Amino acid sequence: MGFLAEVDEGLSAENLATLKRNFGLAPRVYHAQMLRPDLVEAQVELLEKLLFNKGALSRVQKEFILLTVSAANDNSYFPALHCQTLQFLGVKAEQSQQVLIDHHGANLSDADVALLDFARRLAAKGRSFTDLDVESLRRSNFNDEQILEAVLMVGLTQLLNCIQMGLGTEPDFKPRIVFPLKELNPPVAPERQMIEPELADDFVADDPDLEIVARVQNGETEAFEELVRKHGRRVYRSLLGIVGSAEEAEDALQDAFLKAFQHLSRFEGRSRFSTWLVRIAINTGLQRVRSRKEFDSLDEENEEFRPRNIQAWTDTPEDCYSREELKRLVEREVMKLPGKYRVALMLRDLEELSTEEAAATLGLSVPGLKARVLRGRLMLRESMVQYFSKAGAGKS
Amino acid sequence: MISCRDFITELGSLLDDDVASEIREQLEAHLAHCSTCQVLYDSTRKTLRIVTESGSFEYPEPISEPLVSKVMDRIRSWEPDDPVRK
Repeated sequence: MGFLAEVDEGLSAENLATLKRNFGLAPRVYHAQMLRPDLVEAQVELLEKLLFNKGALSRVQKEFILLTVSAANDNSYFPALHCQTLQFLGVKAEQSQQVLIDHHGANLSDADVALLDFARRLAAKGRSFTDLDVESLRRSNFNDEQILEAVLMVGLTQLLNCIQMGLGTEPDFKPRIVFPLKELNPPVAPERQMIEPELADDFVADDPDLEIVARVQNGETEAFEELVRKHGRRVYRSLLGIVGSAEEAEDALQDAFLKAFQHLSRFEGRSRFSTWLVRIAINTGLQRVRSRKEFDSLDEENEEFRPRNIQAWTDTPEDCYSREELKRLVEREVMKLPGKYRVALMLRDLEELSTEEAAATLGLSVPGLKARVLRGRLMLRESMVQYFSKAGAGKS
Repeated sequence: MISCRDFITELGSLLDDDVASEIREQLEAHLAHCSTCQVLYDSTRKTLRIVTESGSFEYPEPISEPLVSKVMDRIRSWEPDDPVRK
Protein backbone atom coordinates (compact mmCIF):
# COMPACT_ATOMS: atom_id res chain seq x y z
CA MET A 1 0.00 0.00 0.00
CA GLY A 2 0.98 3.57 -0.52
CA PHE A 3 1.53 6.13 2.21
CA LEU A 4 -1.97 7.64 1.97
CA ALA A 5 -5.28 5.82 1.58
CA GLU A 6 -6.32 5.02 -1.98
CA VAL A 7 -9.96 5.79 -2.71
CA ASP A 8 -11.74 4.38 -5.74
CA GLU A 9 -14.62 6.86 -5.73
CA GLY A 10 -14.75 10.53 -6.51
CA LEU A 11 -13.36 10.99 -10.03
CA SER A 12 -15.72 12.70 -12.42
CA ALA A 13 -17.16 10.42 -15.08
CA GLU A 14 -15.47 12.50 -17.74
CA ASN A 15 -11.99 12.23 -16.26
CA LEU A 16 -12.45 8.59 -15.46
CA ALA A 17 -13.29 8.04 -19.12
CA THR A 18 -10.21 10.01 -20.23
CA LEU A 19 -7.92 7.92 -18.03
CA LYS A 20 -9.50 4.63 -19.07
CA ARG A 21 -9.30 5.54 -22.72
CA ASN A 22 -5.60 6.27 -22.44
CA PHE A 23 -4.39 3.86 -19.80
CA GLY A 24 -7.07 1.18 -19.86
CA LEU A 25 -7.66 1.97 -16.17
CA ALA A 26 -7.59 4.83 -13.67
CA PRO A 27 -4.02 4.60 -12.30
CA ARG A 28 -3.55 4.18 -8.57
CA VAL A 29 -1.51 7.36 -8.29
CA TYR A 30 -4.74 9.31 -8.84
CA HIS A 31 -6.77 7.21 -6.41
CA ALA A 32 -4.14 8.13 -3.83
CA GLN A 33 -4.91 11.82 -4.19
CA MET A 34 -8.67 11.71 -3.65
CA LEU A 35 -8.50 13.89 -0.55
CA ARG A 36 -8.36 16.69 -3.12
CA PRO A 37 -10.44 15.55 -6.11
CA ASP A 38 -10.23 19.07 -7.56
CA LEU A 39 -6.45 18.72 -7.89
CA VAL A 40 -6.81 15.32 -9.53
CA GLU A 41 -9.21 16.87 -12.03
CA ALA A 42 -6.66 19.60 -12.77
CA GLN A 43 -3.91 17.01 -13.34
CA VAL A 44 -6.05 14.92 -15.66
CA GLU A 45 -6.89 18.04 -17.61
CA LEU A 46 -3.18 18.87 -17.92
CA LEU A 47 -2.42 15.31 -19.00
CA GLU A 48 -5.13 15.49 -21.62
CA LYS A 49 -4.09 18.85 -23.02
CA LEU A 50 -0.37 18.31 -22.96
CA LEU A 51 0.11 14.59 -23.47
CA PHE A 52 -3.01 12.92 -24.85
CA ASN A 53 -4.20 15.56 -27.29
CA LYS A 54 -2.51 16.11 -30.60
CA GLY A 55 0.18 18.75 -30.32
CA ALA A 56 3.30 19.91 -32.11
CA LEU A 57 5.19 16.83 -30.97
CA SER A 58 3.77 13.40 -31.70
CA ARG A 59 2.18 11.45 -28.88
CA VAL A 60 4.95 8.85 -29.06
CA GLN A 61 7.66 11.53 -28.82
CA LYS A 62 5.98 12.87 -25.70
CA GLU A 63 5.58 9.41 -24.19
CA PHE A 64 9.28 8.74 -24.84
CA ILE A 65 10.19 11.96 -23.03
CA LEU A 66 8.15 10.74 -20.09
CA LEU A 67 9.96 7.38 -20.16
CA THR A 68 13.45 8.75 -20.44
CA VAL A 69 12.98 11.39 -17.73
CA SER A 70 11.36 8.83 -15.39
CA ALA A 71 14.34 6.55 -16.00
CA ALA A 72 16.70 9.40 -15.15
CA ASN A 73 14.77 9.79 -11.89
CA ASP A 74 14.96 6.03 -11.22
CA ASN A 75 11.16 6.00 -11.23
CA SER A 76 9.71 2.61 -12.12
CA TYR A 77 6.02 3.40 -11.64
CA PHE A 78 5.37 5.57 -14.69
CA PRO A 79 7.46 3.51 -17.13
CA ALA A 80 5.39 0.45 -16.14
CA LEU A 81 2.18 2.36 -16.84
CA HIS A 82 3.29 4.13 -20.00
CA CYS A 83 4.97 1.14 -21.63
CA GLN A 84 1.47 -0.37 -21.67
CA THR A 85 0.09 2.82 -23.20
CA LEU A 86 2.81 2.78 -25.82
CA GLN A 87 1.84 -0.75 -26.74
CA PHE A 88 -1.72 0.53 -27.41
CA LEU A 89 -0.06 3.11 -29.67
CA GLY A 90 1.75 0.40 -31.61
CA VAL A 91 5.22 0.78 -30.07
CA LYS A 92 6.85 -2.55 -29.34
CA ALA A 93 7.69 -3.29 -25.72
CA GLU A 94 11.33 -3.93 -26.67
CA GLN A 95 11.69 -0.42 -28.07
CA SER A 96 10.16 1.19 -24.98
CA GLN A 97 12.49 -0.88 -22.78
CA GLN A 98 15.47 0.28 -24.79
CA VAL A 99 14.42 3.92 -24.39
CA LEU A 100 14.39 3.30 -20.65
CA ILE A 101 17.84 1.75 -20.64
CA ASP A 102 19.52 3.99 -23.20
CA HIS A 103 17.58 5.70 -25.95
CA HIS A 104 20.68 5.85 -28.16
CA GLY A 105 20.19 2.16 -28.87
CA ALA A 106 16.44 2.34 -29.45
CA ASN A 107 16.48 2.67 -33.21
CA LEU A 108 15.13 6.21 -33.14
CA SER A 109 15.67 8.90 -35.75
CA ASP A 110 18.57 11.30 -35.13
CA ALA A 111 16.04 14.04 -34.37
CA ASP A 112 14.29 11.92 -31.72
CA VAL A 113 17.63 11.02 -30.16
CA ALA A 114 18.42 14.75 -29.95
CA LEU A 115 14.99 15.37 -28.41
CA LEU A 116 15.56 12.79 -25.68
CA ASP A 117 19.13 14.01 -25.08
CA PHE A 118 17.60 17.44 -24.55
CA ALA A 119 14.98 16.10 -22.14
CA ARG A 120 17.56 14.27 -20.07
CA ARG A 121 19.83 17.28 -19.88
CA LEU A 122 16.98 19.47 -18.76
CA ALA A 123 15.86 16.92 -16.19
CA ALA A 124 19.28 16.17 -14.79
CA LYS A 125 21.19 19.39 -15.12
CA GLY A 126 18.58 22.11 -14.79
CA ARG A 127 20.98 24.66 -13.43
CA SER A 128 23.54 24.44 -16.19
CA PHE A 129 20.98 24.10 -18.94
CA THR A 130 21.49 26.94 -21.41
CA ASP A 131 20.23 28.24 -24.72
CA LEU A 132 22.90 26.06 -26.34
CA ASP A 133 20.69 23.10 -25.48
CA VAL A 134 17.74 24.78 -27.15
CA GLU A 135 19.92 25.56 -30.14
CA SER A 136 20.80 21.89 -30.46
CA LEU A 137 17.08 21.11 -30.90
CA ARG A 138 16.64 23.87 -33.45
CA ARG A 139 19.53 22.38 -35.38
CA SER A 140 17.60 19.13 -35.46
CA ASN A 141 14.73 21.07 -37.07
CA PHE A 142 12.42 21.30 -34.07
CA ASN A 143 10.32 24.45 -34.05
CA ASP A 144 9.70 26.57 -30.99
CA GLU A 145 6.28 25.12 -30.30
CA GLN A 146 7.77 21.64 -30.26
CA ILE A 147 10.57 22.82 -27.99
CA LEU A 148 8.00 24.31 -25.62
CA GLU A 149 6.09 21.04 -25.50
CA ALA A 150 9.31 19.14 -24.84
CA VAL A 151 10.11 21.42 -21.91
CA LEU A 152 6.58 21.08 -20.54
CA MET A 153 6.72 17.29 -20.87
CA VAL A 154 9.93 17.21 -18.83
CA GLY A 155 8.19 19.37 -16.22
CA LEU A 156 5.09 17.18 -16.21
CA THR A 157 7.18 14.06 -15.78
CA GLN A 158 9.05 15.58 -12.85
CA LEU A 159 5.70 16.48 -11.24
CA LEU A 160 4.28 12.99 -11.75
CA ASN A 161 7.43 11.26 -10.53
CA CYS A 162 7.50 13.45 -7.45
CA ILE A 163 3.82 12.79 -6.65
CA GLN A 164 4.23 9.03 -6.95
CA MET A 165 7.38 8.99 -4.84
CA GLY A 166 5.83 11.20 -2.18
CA LEU A 167 2.71 9.03 -1.99
CA GLY A 168 4.56 5.72 -2.27
CA THR A 169 2.12 4.45 -4.88
CA GLU A 170 2.73 0.90 -5.96
CA PRO A 171 2.67 0.06 -9.65
CA ASP A 172 -0.53 -0.73 -11.52
CA PHE A 173 1.41 -3.16 -13.67
CA LYS A 174 4.46 -5.16 -12.78
CA PRO A 175 7.39 -3.01 -13.93
CA ARG A 176 9.56 -4.73 -16.50
CA ILE A 177 12.51 -2.74 -15.29
CA VAL A 178 12.94 -1.88 -11.65
CA PHE A 179 15.87 0.42 -11.33
CA PRO A 180 18.56 -1.54 -9.56
CA LEU A 181 19.02 -1.54 -5.81
CA LYS A 182 16.62 1.30 -5.27
CA GLU A 183 13.21 -0.25 -5.80
CA LEU A 184 10.25 1.97 -6.22
CA ASN A 185 10.67 4.36 -3.35
CA PRO A 186 14.30 4.80 -2.49
CA PRO A 187 14.54 6.12 1.09
CA VAL A 188 17.31 8.40 -0.10
CA ALA A 189 19.33 7.93 -3.25
CA PRO A 190 22.71 9.24 -2.10
CA GLU A 191 24.33 9.25 -5.53
CA ARG A 192 21.62 11.45 -6.93
CA GLN A 193 22.74 14.89 -5.96
CA MET A 194 20.03 17.36 -5.12
CA ILE A 195 22.40 20.25 -5.58
CA GLU A 196 24.51 20.74 -8.65
CA PRO A 197 28.12 19.89 -7.92
CA GLU A 198 29.17 23.42 -8.77
CA LEU A 199 27.29 24.66 -5.73
CA ALA A 200 29.15 22.29 -3.49
CA ASP A 201 32.43 23.98 -4.35
CA ASP A 202 33.62 25.41 -1.08
CA PHE A 203 35.89 27.92 -2.67
CA VAL A 204 33.49 29.68 -4.99
CA ALA A 205 33.73 32.77 -2.82
CA ASP A 206 37.45 32.90 -3.55
CA ASP A 207 37.25 32.50 -7.31
CA PRO A 208 40.30 34.44 -8.50
CA ASP A 209 38.71 35.08 -11.90
CA LEU A 210 35.66 36.94 -10.65
CA GLU A 211 37.26 40.36 -10.92
CA ILE A 212 38.25 39.90 -14.57
CA VAL A 213 34.88 38.35 -15.37
CA ALA A 214 33.14 41.38 -13.88
CA ARG A 215 35.28 43.70 -16.01
CA VAL A 216 34.34 41.82 -19.17
CA GLN A 217 30.68 41.79 -18.12
CA ASN A 218 30.91 45.57 -17.80
CA GLY A 219 32.03 45.91 -21.37
CA GLU A 220 35.81 45.64 -21.17
CA THR A 221 36.13 43.03 -23.92
CA GLU A 222 39.95 43.12 -24.00
CA ALA A 223 40.13 41.84 -20.42
CA PHE A 224 38.82 38.51 -21.74
CA GLU A 225 42.26 37.87 -23.25
CA GLU A 226 43.63 37.29 -19.76
CA LEU A 227 41.05 34.54 -19.23
CA VAL A 228 42.00 32.95 -22.58
CA ARG A 229 45.69 32.90 -21.63
CA LYS A 230 45.02 31.64 -18.16
CA HIS A 231 42.58 28.84 -18.99
CA GLY A 232 43.58 28.01 -22.55
CA ARG A 233 45.67 24.99 -21.54
CA ARG A 234 42.90 23.53 -19.43
CA VAL A 235 40.29 24.02 -22.15
CA TYR A 236 42.61 22.56 -24.75
CA ARG A 237 43.18 19.48 -22.65
CA SER A 238 39.45 18.79 -22.29
CA LEU A 239 38.90 19.28 -25.98
CA LEU A 240 41.84 17.19 -27.14
CA GLY A 241 40.58 14.18 -25.21
CA ILE A 242 37.11 14.54 -26.68
CA VAL A 243 37.73 15.47 -30.31
CA GLY A 244 40.88 13.39 -30.64
CA SER A 245 43.12 15.59 -32.82
CA ALA A 246 45.26 18.62 -32.07
CA GLU A 247 44.03 20.56 -35.08
CA GLU A 248 40.38 20.09 -34.28
CA ALA A 249 41.01 20.82 -30.60
CA GLU A 250 42.41 24.23 -31.58
CA ASP A 251 39.32 25.00 -33.68
CA ALA A 252 37.02 23.85 -30.91
CA LEU A 253 38.96 25.94 -28.41
CA GLN A 254 38.12 29.06 -30.39
CA ASP A 255 34.44 28.07 -30.49
CA ALA A 256 34.41 27.34 -26.77
CA PHE A 257 35.90 30.69 -25.77
CA LEU A 258 33.57 32.52 -28.12
CA LYS A 259 30.57 30.74 -26.58
CA ALA A 260 31.82 31.52 -23.09
CA PHE A 261 32.12 35.18 -24.05
CA GLN A 262 28.66 35.23 -25.62
CA HIS A 263 27.11 33.70 -22.50
CA LEU A 264 29.16 35.53 -19.93
CA SER A 265 26.21 37.68 -18.93
CA ARG A 266 24.58 34.46 -17.66
CA PHE A 267 27.52 33.59 -15.46
CA GLU A 268 26.48 34.37 -11.90
CA GLY A 269 29.35 32.97 -9.90
CA ARG A 270 27.42 29.93 -8.68
CA SER A 271 30.39 27.85 -9.73
CA ARG A 272 33.98 28.76 -10.31
CA PHE A 273 34.49 30.45 -13.63
CA SER A 274 36.98 27.75 -14.63
CA THR A 275 34.42 24.98 -13.89
CA TRP A 276 31.80 26.79 -15.93
CA LEU A 277 34.24 27.32 -18.79
CA VAL A 278 35.30 23.67 -18.87
CA ARG A 279 31.63 22.58 -19.03
CA ILE A 280 31.20 24.80 -22.08
CA ALA A 281 34.35 23.33 -23.61
CA ILE A 282 33.14 19.77 -23.02
CA ASN A 283 29.79 20.51 -24.65
CA THR A 284 31.51 22.20 -27.57
CA GLY A 285 33.74 19.17 -28.10
CA LEU A 286 30.78 16.82 -27.82
CA GLN A 287 28.80 18.71 -30.43
CA ARG A 288 31.65 18.05 -32.82
CA VAL A 289 32.04 14.35 -32.14
CA ARG A 290 28.30 13.64 -31.96
CA SER A 291 28.02 14.21 -35.66
CA ARG A 292 30.45 11.36 -36.30
CA LYS A 293 28.83 8.06 -37.13
CA GLU A 294 30.93 5.93 -34.81
CA PHE A 295 29.95 7.99 -31.83
CA ASP A 296 26.46 6.79 -31.15
CA SER A 297 26.54 3.49 -32.93
CA LEU A 298 25.68 0.64 -30.68
CA ASP A 299 26.77 -2.30 -32.77
CA GLU A 300 29.73 -3.13 -30.55
CA GLU A 301 27.85 -2.45 -27.36
CA ASN A 302 25.41 -5.24 -27.95
CA GLU A 303 28.19 -7.75 -28.03
CA GLU A 304 29.66 -8.81 -24.79
CA PHE A 305 33.18 -7.55 -24.31
CA ARG A 306 35.54 -10.35 -23.40
CA PRO A 307 38.81 -9.18 -21.91
CA ARG A 308 41.87 -10.86 -23.39
CA ASN A 309 45.57 -10.73 -22.56
CA ILE A 310 45.14 -11.66 -18.96
CA GLN A 311 48.76 -11.42 -17.83
CA ALA A 312 49.95 -10.32 -14.41
CA TRP A 313 51.36 -6.80 -14.20
CA THR A 314 54.40 -5.61 -12.30
CA ASP A 315 53.70 -4.20 -8.85
CA THR A 316 54.62 -0.62 -9.66
CA PRO A 317 54.09 -0.14 -13.39
CA GLU A 318 54.74 3.60 -13.03
CA ASP A 319 58.39 2.85 -12.33
CA CYS A 320 58.95 1.17 -15.70
CA TYR A 321 59.00 4.43 -17.62
CA SER A 322 59.89 8.07 -17.13
CA ARG A 323 57.05 10.45 -16.40
CA GLU A 324 57.30 11.90 -19.87
CA GLU A 325 57.21 8.43 -21.49
CA LEU A 326 54.18 7.49 -19.41
CA LYS A 327 52.33 10.64 -20.38
CA ARG A 328 52.90 10.02 -24.09
CA LEU A 329 52.05 6.38 -23.82
CA VAL A 330 48.72 7.09 -22.11
CA GLU A 331 47.86 9.81 -24.61
CA ARG A 332 48.68 7.56 -27.54
CA GLU A 333 46.63 4.63 -26.27
CA VAL A 334 43.66 6.73 -25.12
CA MET A 335 43.50 8.34 -28.55
CA LYS A 336 43.27 4.91 -30.18
CA LEU A 337 40.03 4.09 -28.32
CA PRO A 338 36.80 4.39 -30.32
CA GLY A 339 35.27 7.86 -29.77
CA LYS A 340 32.31 6.89 -27.64
CA TYR A 341 34.42 4.94 -25.15
CA ARG A 342 37.20 7.51 -25.17
CA VAL A 343 34.82 10.35 -24.36
CA ALA A 344 33.08 8.43 -21.56
CA LEU A 345 36.45 7.55 -20.05
CA MET A 346 37.77 11.10 -20.44
CA LEU A 347 34.77 12.61 -18.66
CA ARG A 348 34.90 10.17 -15.75
CA ASP A 349 38.59 9.50 -15.30
CA LEU A 350 40.33 12.65 -16.54
CA GLU A 351 37.72 15.38 -16.11
CA GLU A 352 36.55 13.57 -12.98
CA LEU A 353 32.87 14.25 -13.51
CA SER A 354 30.55 12.16 -11.34
CA THR A 355 28.77 9.27 -13.04
CA GLU A 356 25.52 11.24 -13.00
CA GLU A 357 27.10 14.36 -14.42
CA ALA A 358 28.88 12.43 -17.16
CA ALA A 359 25.67 10.57 -18.03
CA ALA A 360 23.70 13.81 -18.22
CA THR A 361 26.41 15.50 -20.28
CA LEU A 362 26.33 12.66 -22.80
CA GLY A 363 22.56 12.21 -22.68
CA LEU A 364 22.97 8.62 -21.49
CA SER A 365 21.30 6.68 -18.71
CA VAL A 366 23.54 6.02 -15.71
CA PRO A 367 23.82 2.28 -16.53
CA GLY A 368 24.55 3.16 -20.18
CA LEU A 369 27.32 5.53 -19.15
CA LYS A 370 28.79 3.04 -16.69
CA ALA A 371 28.89 0.38 -19.39
CA ARG A 372 30.76 2.67 -21.76
CA VAL A 373 33.27 3.77 -19.14
CA LEU A 374 33.96 0.18 -18.17
CA ARG A 375 34.39 -0.85 -21.79
CA GLY A 376 36.80 2.06 -22.31
CA ARG A 377 38.81 1.13 -19.22
CA LEU A 378 39.01 -2.52 -20.22
CA MET A 379 40.06 -1.69 -23.77
CA LEU A 380 42.71 0.67 -22.47
CA ARG A 381 43.93 -1.95 -20.02
CA GLU A 382 44.27 -4.41 -22.84
CA SER A 383 46.34 -2.03 -24.93
CA MET A 384 48.63 -1.39 -21.95
CA VAL A 385 49.39 -5.04 -21.20
CA GLN A 386 52.33 -4.96 -23.62
CA TYR A 387 54.01 -2.21 -21.59
CA PHE A 388 53.24 -3.24 -18.04
CA SER A 389 52.93 -7.01 -17.86
CA LYS A 390 55.71 -8.78 -16.01
CA ALA A 391 56.92 -10.08 -19.38
CA GLY A 392 56.71 -6.80 -21.29
CA ALA A 393 57.43 -4.10 -18.72
CA GLY A 394 59.86 -1.39 -19.70
CA LYS A 395 59.64 -1.93 -23.45
CA SER A 396 58.04 0.88 -25.41
CA MET B 1 28.47 -17.85 -6.15
CA ILE B 2 28.93 -15.29 -8.90
CA SER B 3 30.51 -15.98 -12.28
CA CYS B 4 33.42 -14.22 -14.01
CA ARG B 5 30.88 -12.57 -16.28
CA ASP B 6 29.01 -11.12 -13.27
CA PHE B 7 32.32 -9.99 -11.86
CA ILE B 8 33.20 -8.10 -15.04
CA THR B 9 29.76 -6.47 -15.11
CA GLU B 10 30.34 -5.11 -11.60
CA LEU B 11 34.01 -4.31 -12.14
CA GLY B 12 33.37 -0.65 -13.03
CA SER B 13 31.42 -0.06 -9.82
CA LEU B 14 34.07 -1.86 -7.82
CA LEU B 15 36.78 0.38 -9.30
CA ASP B 16 34.68 3.43 -8.45
CA ASP B 17 34.14 2.10 -4.94
CA ASP B 18 30.43 2.32 -5.58
CA VAL B 19 29.06 -1.10 -4.63
CA ALA B 20 26.71 -2.12 -1.85
CA SER B 21 28.48 -4.06 0.88
CA GLU B 22 26.69 -7.35 0.15
CA ILE B 23 27.73 -7.18 -3.49
CA ARG B 24 31.26 -6.26 -2.52
CA GLU B 25 31.44 -9.35 -0.33
CA GLN B 26 30.36 -11.51 -3.25
CA LEU B 27 32.91 -9.89 -5.56
CA GLU B 28 35.67 -10.33 -3.02
CA ALA B 29 34.67 -13.95 -2.50
CA HIS B 30 34.94 -14.46 -6.25
CA LEU B 31 38.34 -12.75 -6.37
CA ALA B 32 39.65 -14.97 -3.61
CA HIS B 33 39.46 -18.06 -5.79
CA CYS B 34 39.63 -16.72 -9.39
CA SER B 35 43.14 -15.81 -10.48
CA THR B 36 41.95 -14.55 -13.91
CA CYS B 37 39.66 -11.95 -12.34
CA GLN B 38 42.37 -11.08 -9.82
CA VAL B 39 44.71 -10.18 -12.68
CA LEU B 40 41.97 -8.34 -14.51
CA TYR B 41 41.02 -6.31 -11.45
CA ASP B 42 44.62 -5.55 -10.53
CA SER B 43 45.67 -4.48 -14.02
CA THR B 44 42.56 -2.38 -14.64
CA ARG B 45 43.05 -0.63 -11.30
CA LYS B 46 46.66 0.09 -12.23
CA THR B 47 45.60 1.31 -15.66
CA LEU B 48 43.30 3.84 -14.01
CA ARG B 49 46.03 4.93 -11.62
CA ILE B 50 48.43 5.49 -14.52
CA VAL B 51 45.82 7.40 -16.53
CA THR B 52 44.85 9.72 -13.70
CA GLU B 53 48.37 10.33 -12.43
CA SER B 54 50.34 10.58 -15.66
CA GLY B 55 49.49 14.22 -16.34
CA SER B 56 48.35 13.16 -19.80
CA PHE B 57 46.67 15.66 -22.10
CA GLU B 58 48.28 18.56 -20.30
CA TYR B 59 49.23 21.19 -22.79
CA PRO B 60 52.95 21.63 -22.11
CA GLU B 61 52.96 25.39 -22.17
CA PRO B 62 50.52 28.30 -22.39
CA ILE B 63 48.54 28.23 -25.60
CA SER B 64 50.31 29.88 -28.52
CA GLU B 65 50.07 33.58 -29.24
CA PRO B 66 48.55 33.05 -32.71
CA LEU B 67 45.81 30.96 -31.09
CA VAL B 68 45.10 33.62 -28.47
CA SER B 69 44.91 36.17 -31.29
CA LYS B 70 42.47 34.04 -33.25
CA VAL B 71 40.19 33.72 -30.25
CA MET B 72 40.29 37.44 -29.53
CA ASP B 73 39.70 38.33 -33.20
CA ARG B 74 36.55 36.23 -33.23
CA ILE B 75 35.37 37.79 -29.99
CA ARG B 76 36.00 41.33 -31.20
CA SER B 77 34.13 40.69 -34.43
CA TRP B 78 31.14 39.10 -32.72
CA GLU B 79 28.16 41.42 -32.77
CA PRO B 80 25.92 41.35 -29.72
CA ASP B 81 22.97 41.43 -32.09
CA ASP B 82 24.04 38.10 -33.43
CA PRO B 83 21.00 35.79 -33.38
CA VAL B 84 22.81 33.45 -31.00
CA ARG B 85 22.22 35.90 -28.20
CA LYS B 86 18.81 36.09 -26.69
